[in-house]
Amino acid sequence: MNNAATQPAAKAAAAPKRRKNHSLEKRRSRSGWFFCLPFILGFLVIYLPIIFNSIQYSFSHIVRDRGATYHLEFVGFENYREALFTNPDFTQTLVKGIGGMLIDIPAIVIFSLFVAILLNQKMIGRAAFRAIFFIPVILSTGLIAEIDASSAMLEYMTGEGASIDTGTKESTTSQIVDAMDIERLFEGMKVGEGLVETVKDIINNIFNIVNRSGVQMLIFLAGLQSISPAIYESCKMEGATAWETFWKITFPMISPMILVNAIYSVIDSFTSADNAVMRLIERVRTDGTNGEVVASAMAWMYFLVVLLIIGIFALIARAYVFYQRKD
Amino acid sequence: MNDQATTKVMKESKNKIKVEFERTPLLQRLKAKFLNTYFLTNVVWYAFRLILLLGISYVILYPFFAKIAGSLMGQEDFIDVTVFLIPKHWTLGTYKAIFLENHYMKAFAYTFLVSFSTAIAQTLICCLIGYGLAKFKFKGNAALLLAVIITMVVPHGTVQLSMYMHFRYFDIFGLFGLLNKIGVWNQSFLVNLTGDNGIWPLILLSLTGLAFKNGLYIFLMRQFYRGVPDELEESAYVDGSGTFRTFCQIIIPLSIPMMVTIFLFAFCWQWTDNFYTELFFSNAKKLVLMPDIVQIPSSLVTTYAGKNLYESAIRNTCGLMIIAPLVILYLFCQKFLVQGIERSGLVG
Repeated sequence: MNNAATQPAAKAAAAPKRRKNHSLEKRRSRSGWFFCLPFILGFLVIYLPIIFNSIQYSFSHIVRDRGATYHLEFVGFENYREALFTNPDFTQTLVKGIGGMLIDIPAIVIFSLFVAILLNQKMIGRAAFRAIFFIPVILSTGLIAEIDASSAMLEYMTGEGASIDTGTKESTTSQIVDAMDIERLFEGMKVGEGLVETVKDIINNIFNIVNRSGVQMLIFLAGLQSISPAIYESCKMEGATAWETFWKITFPMISPMILVNAIYSVIDSFTSADNAVMRLIERVRTDGTNGEVVASAMAWMYFLVVLLIIGIFALIARAYVFYQRKD
Repeated sequence: MNDQATTKVMKESKNKIKVEFERTPLLQRLKAKFLNTYFLTNVVWYAFRLILLLGISYVILYPFFAKIAGSLMGQEDFIDVTVFLIPKHWTLGTYKAIFLENHYMKAFAYTFLVSFSTAIAQTLICCLIGYGLAKFKFKGNAALLLAVIITMVVPHGTVQLSMYMHFRYFDIFGLFGLLNKIGVWNQSFLVNLTGDNGIWPLILLSLTGLAFKNGLYIFLMRQFYRGVPDELEESAYVDGSGTFRTFCQIIIPLSIPMMVTIFLFAFCWQWTDNFYTELFFSNAKKLVLMPDIVQIPSSLVTTYAGKNLYESAIRNTCGLMIIAPLVILYLFCQKFLVQGIERSGLVG
């Protein structure tokens, strides 16, 4: 930077008439704006109006005029009231969905960290395993997930074995473990019914969890790669066991990634179209009078709740996250 | 001379140790080698790891095997209880019917056009924005990053309706509407971007870094560029290269693995996307896209006992045919996928 800074200074000396504030810093900041220009334009011209409109819709009713036009009628919190008190399912689904999310997120983060550590070790066939583990991120999204969901739905509606068993969704035929098995395992440990159910759900949901932890695995892998091997080496010399090394070195070094991944998982799971609340919103959107605006109101409420969760996550994590370099 | 002497001494002592070692019987030597905790824990750990990885790989791959098996089965196999994974009546009829009757080639060509153009646009634009955010300190840098994160956090499902309306009656700050009123703009109403050709909203979103998951791409690129040392650009500046030229000639070649990763994500997610396709292409009946081929070909419609099962298998076959090109792309690009992320230095 210093070398480059001398150039304009020399130029300024040669031509004193030039404006003084035409400094390198200013030029750099202008090129910064230039690089970000597409996003700034899009954000102002497309995104903000969309967000603004969406909030506007949630506070109004759409009245269709003759022809292709429409106008909005401001109704205050009417839509929110309808979503919260008139709709029978919304609050229930919301609470259930958030509860499910709070169970799934730790499972996804822990699983992806574990797999990332495994895939980071030197072994035979590492490249092949890596290739296999990233298949779901690429292939099991959108349309394919929808087909899987419809197969599972069909199976659920028509009873056992009505669909080819693809093992993709928790279904009657493809349960990996039974609640009974785990109950037997936990027998005498004095743990509640709830925990047994949770553990069972997580294990049966393994495909779902593997499916949803692809990007997180990548991020963890990147984080693991950036830890200097010298640290591990010195640990080994000092006689630390693998267990100690993990908790004293890997875990603190990877903690920023854990935060990033937790937040990413929250966002990912609540924006994905196949979670219960999103499905409900989608259903409300397509039926009933004013379904569209009520759906908007629901979506914004859902968003606020999730934002709250992310905020709490970030606050808690801030106390524990260790940053290697501060800038 | 001195050096030679020391090496000679070392060699001799080494030989001595070797002799000592060989004097101990084989059984003891093997015991010492294999019956210690270090070796045993390693063996256990290797076995555990291998079994675990194989198990998870099985969980991931099994659905694909099941789908492939189902796609090759004839109608009779779905009511036969003894058939499990291995078809008795092999047939390629399902593939053939989908290929010919569901306009597979048309859907392939048009989806390729949409996915390729948007993925290229997204990759380049996210590259630009990520570079701008990572390497330049200007007022509003932090605010811009916050804006990127906001676009990532607000799900597009939430703003679905207003997004559709925005592109249905496309307008920039009411400018077109104003022109309409004065009579300068010669269109009957605002520009309808969702009309016959629903690709324009997607292109616009891609060109402004607002399309599906673009916040993630921008974030990844930014982290990647933060790991690139500043000295690289500084030396280019000293040699008289401008900002943009430095970006094109030095930074872009550096970030190829990362760009391939993002291209792969963008392409595949657009390829299997149904949210935007249904939102923006709803009026465009002429065009056939990938979501349109997921239906039962008319020649395969039956009413026999295994109908549900058979139709589910056909739908899954459609899914297989949709992802087949992606598998080929993935095989070529997966090397970059890990490489790109590994070099990004994502910490911090």
